[in-house]
This record gives sequence, structure tokens and C-alpha cells, in this order.
Amino acid sequence: MKSREEEYREIFMAEALEYYDAMSRHISELEKDPTDEKALHELFRLMHNLKANARAMGFNDIGEVAHQMETIFGLIRSKERTFSGSLVPVLFAGVDTLGNMIRAVDQDEEVPNADVLLRNLDLLVLGEEPILEAEEKPADEDASRKLELSDLVYIQIKKLDHLLNLVGELIIDRDRILTLSQEIGNPALQTAASHLFRIADDLQYSVMDARLVNVGSLFNKFPRVVRDVAVAENKEVELTINGQDIQIDRNILQIITDALLHLVRNAIGHGLETATERRRQGKPEQGNLILSAQTERDDVLIQVIDDGRGIDVEQVRRKAVERGLVSAEASKSLDANAVRGFLFEPGFSMAKEVTDISGRGVGLDVVKLAIDSLGGQLRVDSVLGQGTTFTLVLPTSIAVKGALLFELEERSYAIPLMHTDSVVSLQPKQLHVVGGVLMARLLSENIPVVDLRTLLHSASDGVLLPAVKAELQGRQDIIIVNYNNRKLGFIVDRFLRQQDIVIKPMSKPLDMIDLFGGVTLLGSGQVCLVIDVPALTRLFLAKRP
Amino acid sequence: MKNRILIVDDSFYMRTMLKNMLTDAGYEVVGEAANGQQALEMASATRPDLITLDVILPDNTGLDVLKGIRLEQPDVKVVMCSAVGQEVIVNEALESGATAYIVKPFSEEKVLEIVGSALQSSDSTEA
Repeated sequence: MKSREEEYREIFMAEALEYYDAMSRHISELEKDPTDEKALHELFRLMHNLKANARAMGFNDIGEVAHQMETIFGLIRSKERTFSGSLVPVLFAGVDTLGNMIRAVDQDEEVPNADVLLRNLDLLVLGEEPILEAEEKPADEDASRKLELSDLVYIQIKKLDHLLNLVGELIIDRDRILTLSQEIGNPALQTAASHLFRIADDLQYSVMDARLVNVGSLFNKFPRVVRDVAVAENKEVELTINGQDIQIDRNILQIITDALLHLVRNAIGHGLETATERRRQGKPEQGNLILSAQTERDDVLIQVIDDGRGIDVEQVRRKAVERGLVSAEASKSLDANAVRGFLFEPGFSMAKEVTDISGRGVGLDVVKLAIDSLGGQLRVDSVLGQGTTFTLVLPTSIAVKGALLFELEERSYAIPLMHTDSVVSLQPKQLHVVGGVLMARLLSENIPVVDLRTLLHSASDGVLLPAVKAELQGRQDIIIVNYNNRKLGFIVDRFLRQQDIVIKPMSKPLDMIDLFGGVTLLGSGQVCLVIDVPALTRLFLAKRP
Repeated sequence: MKNRILIVDDSFYMRTMLKNMLTDAGYEVVGEAANGQQALEMASATRPDLITLDVILPDNTGLDVLKGIRLEQPDVKVVMCSAVGQEVIVNEALESGATAYIVKPFSEEKVLEIVGSALQSSDSTEA
């Protein structure tokens, strides 16, 4: 973790070097056209900023030179001096000196003495003639003067994508080599392999780090969006933005841009009431909208929170039954969270009546798809009359995902941790059959449980037979997953371990491809299928007895 | 309820420092603007309780921004951030309705003292 002082210093240096580059450019422009007011204003502003920043950092020598330069550019602006005659070489020397001073500070060297320059600047301020000495000349004549390049590099995201893919391949080979080296048991090989392990780890995190951007780069576009939508919808909205500094992979931010825009528009258009309606409800006339980001373990949570009318769960439940998404019987046992999950069903939202319920819904399935494609989660919480919160749970990076490895019919599978809620081992007596479905009661929640082997087979043979409790023998290892506000337990043969995996897309055609999000290679060289939790949840809902 | 502050400064360094100082002191920084245009947009969209406003900005002067904000939000407290040598602008800013000013380079104590009392003045006028 960088200390705040280090962070300030880095920002100061990066900005000071940028200022120096810009000053050099603008003073050349001014030399070509001494009446160029834009260049003049920029020089004045840059000197001003450099002065203030340098003094705040305690680099008083730089501050002093920048201050005097600013004063003179100020005098030129107010037409008390002209950019001509002996003033010109002094100001050029001033910019060069500042460059040298900034570089010296950057390299922890002694800051060059600027007394001669300062004396001349003083004379110019007083309206007197500067004393141009030989010292002014060498700088101009020095043909070998250093050219400085910026410390910042702009890079196409495509190139970073390629780099990240290569790192993914490397990690897979690394794990393979590590396993082999342990099998072979040669100490020299093992040392080399464990060194490779650390280096590859470092490389992976460095590449992931290079792709991170502040959530603020997206959030800061929203004040304007909110203002425009609020005006169009004739609502009064106060937007609060939190957590702009949270960092996330640039491509993830790109992918969620439309989703976030959608949620914000929905919140203003349909979530928040008009001022009149709010007053009637005893709420402040101005609706509140909060856009916030925070980190939770390895994930980034982005929330869109409004204090509007909220979602009427009972109406959503009725509509879900009407649309045949769930039987009337089964709908009764669903809790509010599971019911709100229907809002993300494709088509559910498109119907007019549904948008009238709460206004939620238009295009929410699209939002859901975007989040799913990232292996993220979308949750919705709401209190009728008090407001709605949409939560996007996103991975920080797209390269590596934490996963739980388990065994089923002597094969290894991986399930992304993003979708796993908990892992439990239950005795058969702790499971009950309700309506042909096994149910586990955990922390006062009833969670449907299905044997994963049977569920996978049902995808090809088309039926999921009613569960029979007598078939359960001994402790059952169950992974509870959470998708779309709905929990579901998968019975597996054996838990293996938790591990970071690199998910590769599957090569087609593969049977049941929809049920797997990709493959990963384990250190043993074994191919491991990665379970697609959204797809399996949908399969279960479609096939349940 | 935390007081909400908008920071306007064209230097990332200054914004970062101000944001850290204010956030540490328990204020909520609702936005950061790097030029006058952004400042006006964000002020209007975020409706802060207080704005720290740099006197020199790339596109226009802090003074123009101050006047623009005042037209729309007569109640928001504006603390001008200037450096030595800009007394003339500061005086004009105070006449145009700035609540207070800070001179760069500033210490954390000074910033919090001035911001705190500027916000207090708002409470007392409302009370």
C-alpha cells in the first residue's frame, strides 16, 4: 500500500512534468505570435498551478521561480509588459530552469541554483533591464540538451487484452509445470518451478493492475445524464456519487456502461415519484438517487439506489403466474427476493401492465445479460413505498476468477465463487421432499436442492424425476449457489478445494455446451469444466417436477 | 447528514489533496471538476452545500464560474482557493458573493477551519 505522501509525490511529479511540456510548447507559440492570448493564459495558469503545488509539497525553490514567472506573464496579460526584447530569453531560461528543477526533484538530486534567473525576473517585475550573462547562453547553445518524454503512456486496450490472454496461457502452463516438477521430484526443478510460479503471479497481477481504471471515470458522466433525464421526466432528483476511487478492469466498466445507464434512467423515470406525489406521501419533494461503488472481498459492488416508490412484490408474483413463469402453487413458496428475480426474465418486462406495476422492467433482462456475461451478479432489493436498490456484483478483473473445485463421477468441475453462496454437508435427515423437490432448511431459509448428476443428465434425456429421499446415502456435500435472487443447492460427490482459475472458452461443438461457461486446465493437465450457474439454475427451473 | 462538497480545481494534485482532507474530516465530496464548464454542470447536477473554487481555470476564470453558480444557487457556500498575488481577484470574488477564501499552499487545519466556518454561516442564516 502506498502512503499518502508517496501518492501525492507521484501525482505532483506526473503533473509537474506535464506542465513543463505544456509550458515549453506554449512559450514557443507565444514567440511565434506574441499576441496569442490563449497561449499566454495557459502559461499563466500552468505557472500558477506549479507554484501552488510545489509550495504544498515543500519544493519552495520551484515555487519561487514559478511565482515570479507567473507574475511576469500576468503583467504581459494586463499589457503592462510585452513579450519582446530581453524579456524573451529570460522567460525561456525560466521555463528551462523549471524543467531542470522538476527533473532534479524527481531524481532526488540537488535542485539547481536559480539565483541569477530570480534576480533577472525581479528586475523584469520592477520594469528594469535584466542582466543577460553568459550563463543564459549555454542553455541555448547546448546542442545536446536533453529531450524529456512523458512518464505516461497511452495504450490501446486491444494490446492490453492480448497481453492478458497471454498471461492466462502462461498461468495454465505454469500450474502444469509446477505439478510435473512435484511429480518428478527433482529439487533443482522444483526450485525453478516455484520461482516461475511467483514471477508469473507477479506478472499476472501487474497486467491486471495496468488495466484498472477508477469507477469515477464512468460515474462522473452521470451528473449530466441525471440532470437531463430528470428534466425530461419532470422530476426533482438529487444525485450522490460515492466511491469514485474504486478501481475495476476497464473492459468490465465498458460492458456495464449501458446497464448502468439503463438502471439510472429507470430509477428516475419509474422509481422516483413526481414532486407532487412525493409531497402527498410525506417524502421530501426532491428524490434521492445514489450511485455508489465499494469493494467487498475481491469483488466490486456497484449500487443504484433510489428512494422512490419501490416494487410491489405481490403484483410481480401475480404477473409471474399469469405469464406462466411459475405455477400458482409454487409461487406461494417463493420469498420476496425470488419474486423480484422475475423482473429480470426476458419478456417479462416488455408487457405494459408490468411496467405499470412499478415501472421496473423495461430492458432489465438486457442488464441482466450484460452482468451474466461478466460472471457477475445482479440483485434487487426494495421496500414498497421507500425505494429500490439494484446491486451489481462484479469481478475486479476478467482474467482470473476464484472458483470452487469439486468432483462428480470422478471428474473435476469448477464453479465460480461469484455464484457460490455457501458449502454445506448435510445428513439425509436434514433434507425433505416437498412437491418432488428436495429442500434443505438453512438459517431459516428453505432452499431447493438437486443432485447435480441427475440435473446434468436431464438436459439430454429431458426429464427430472421427482426426488426420492431414500436414494440419499450418508452425508451429502452440497454447494449452495445464488443466482437472480434465488438460491439452489447442488449435490456433488466431493468438494476438492478453492483455487484461482483462468477460464477459456470451449471449443464447439460440445454437448450441453450451454451448461458450461468454459473450461480450465488444472495443474495436473486435467481438463475441468466450469459450471455456468445461470444456465443450470434456468435448467432446474424448467425441469423441476 | 454529511455536508456535501464539490471541488473545482484544474490541478489533479490539488483536487486529490483537498478531497483527502475533506473526506478524512467526514465531509462528502460529491464531485471534482477540472474546468469552469464542468464546474457549472456538476454544481447544477449535484447541488452541493459548499464549493471550493480555484480562481484560475483553463476555460474561464473562477470569478465567472462563481457568478454563474450564484445565479442558479444563491445559497451555496463558495470558498475561493487562490495563491498569493491574487488579492485583487479575491476581493472581487468576495464582493461577488464568495463566502470565504483560502490561500494556497494551505494546511489541513486551515482548510477545515475555513470550510467549517463557511458551512456554519449557512446554518445560522437558515436558523
